[in-house]
Amino acid sequence: MSLLELRDVEVEYRRAGRAMRAVAGASLSVDAGQVVGLVGETGCGKSTLARAAVGLQATSAGSVWFEGRKLMALGRRARSRRDARLQMVFQNPFSSLNPRRKVGDQIADAMSILGLAPAGGRRERVTELLDQVGLPATAAERFPHQYSGGQRQRIAIARALAAEPSVIVLDEPLSSLDASAQAQVANLLKGLARELQVGLLLISHDLAIVRHIADVVNVMYLGLVVETAPTRRLWKAPMHPYTEALIESIPRADGSGWLPEALSGEVPDPARPPAGCRFHPRCAYAFDRCRTDSPPLADVKEGRRVACWLHAPGGEERSPSAFAKRTSG
Amino acid sequence: MNTLLSVQGLRIRLPTAAGLVTVVDGIDYEIEAGQVFGIAGESGSGKTISVLALLGLLPDGAQVEGKALFDGRDLLKLSRRSLRDVRGAEIAMVFQDPMTSLHPMLTIERQLTEHVRFHLGLSAAQARQRGAELLHEVRIPDPDSALAAYPHQFSGGMRQRIAIAIALACRPRVLIADEPTTALDVTVQAGILRLLDDLRRRSGLSVVMITHDLGVMSSIAGWLTVMYAGRVVESGPTGEVLSRPRHPYTAGLLAALPHPEAAEDTPLRSIKGSPPAPQARPDGCTFHPRCQYAVPSCSVNVPDLARIGDERRLACPVDPLAVPA
Repeated sequence: MSLLELRDVEVEYRRAGRAMRAVAGASLSVDAGQVVGLVGETGCGKSTLARAAVGLQATSAGSVWFEGRKLMALGRRARSRRDARLQMVFQNPFSSLNPRRKVGDQIADAMSILGLAPAGGRRERVTELLDQVGLPATAAERFPHQYSGGQRQRIAIARALAAEPSVIVLDEPLSSLDASAQAQVANLLKGLARELQVGLLLISHDLAIVRHIADVVNVMYLGLVVETAPTRRLWKAPMHPYTEALIESIPRADGSGWLPEALSGEVPDPARPPAGCRFHPRCAYAFDRCRTDSPPLADVKEGRRVACWLHAPGGEERSPSAFAKRTSG
Repeated sequence: MNTLLSVQGLRIRLPTAAGLVTVVDGIDYEIEAGQVFGIAGESGSGKTISVLALLGLLPDGAQVEGKALFDGRDLLKLSRRSLRDVRGAEIAMVFQDPMTSLHPMLTIERQLTEHVRFHLGLSAAQARQRGAELLHEVRIPDPDSALAAYPHQFSGGMRQRIAIAIALACRPRVLIADEPTTALDVTVQAGILRLLDDLRRRSGLSVVMITHDLGVMSSIAGWLTVMYAGRVVESGPTGEVLSRPRHPYTAGLLAALPHPEAAEDTPLRSIKGSPPAPQARPDGCTFHPRCQYAVPSCSVNVPDLARIGDERRLACPVDPLAVPA
């Protein structure tokens, strides 16, 4: 069993008296030392799933398992000491850090609450954590506003590490940063996963960065995981038409002047998802079955799962466009 | 060459608690008709402020030097009233976040027709007709019912299309787009980029594209100007600048991007350090503390933006990335 496992998780919000399933049965898992990416467009439910993964959001069906035990959604009581090994880093380090407290004090909080380091050894541990995220020991005595966005995100990561987590869920940790800071923090995350054997669940809309640091990628569309694959194989042959469209829409900074293709149509209202496969109205490969039956997320090959009727179990790893070319030619 | 807008020696100082701070420190560029002109740079590089100055949209107390010649007039010397005739009518702007740039409580029709009536003096019926045409032009389905709707009824991408329609309403010659796709998903971004490209081709619109995203630049900008800490460090045809960057900063930015063919587990190559705050910019070349090629003179002399080859310009006398002839 993986360190963190989400099994058929559903999350329902009530909107104007109507139920809206933001997550409609999503499954994924994170192992020690592994970087797992979760990508998808705005409104696909990826942030909701991230919150459900750490118990900040109650699930309406399905379950979340952390270190072999069922994780309960956080209520009024403090999180148990064991569940504190599941940490979260938020998108905006300008709002997730307390502007009025010293960096070192904020990092040390977890240690005193969880009793992780003896009172005398906390300062030393803070220095060690700051060093792990690439900041000097002097940072402990300073305030968050004295740092840039990238450095603040490092502080937020150090604070999460203070609880000695086995898994960290990061919700868009890089999207508020500039390109060069983004690269620095991305490298840091990958290094931490490898060195400390922490599992990372990285939520992002930026496929390029996820491609670079994730070992496994989950692609979400309208509340469902539609494809799961090892990163390299996903990029080589995206099997779900949506994944292929997502990859095709990333502009490349190569000076070639290539203008990416736009995906037709709009993301449907999650309160009224289309019948059959939720992607079929925007899919160039849809056929009759797609309009009536919803495809399950099924194993196609070792490590590869896809929810699409184009692919049969044991079939070839190829993208829909390659498939279409072969049948027409 | 048909130069539409020529910016010369633009220098901007903004008032802060610590006194006036120079945010844009002497920049020059020329924008041609029917071109997508890209201004790239990280936050704080002065890329947005430099175009806000052209429209007289700087905060009170800002000091501006230099020239911005548009059609024989210097935009920086125009009276408020004359600038008002230019703004919206001849030079229009689209902002990053369509959630905040559109008024949430006014119908699309109200927002789309207000300045058409102001600048072009159309009647209500004519303005409505024009509004529907504009929505059709930016590919909003069912323009007539869209006119009666409110911004929240549209998705982010649709809202940005509407913001572009509003900007285009008076048939401006220049559209300034400040990070127009940064808040959008990649799938939606592609559609907006195609729309802008199409408008340029069909109506000869000049687009000033401001973004930190070099991928976006590569796909639509014909010309690229790279800014760092208030100055232009490099400019030229986009294809050349991106495929053969000459300034160490441009090269560093490109190297920091995830590369499709990179081997597994290779770290991204980031530029060490972070950009300086406007009040703490170093002497000489502002990039020198982060530059792996810096020589002692870099910390003393401010480099000129010098011509290299026929079209490119470079502000780096060391020029470590020059291709040997």
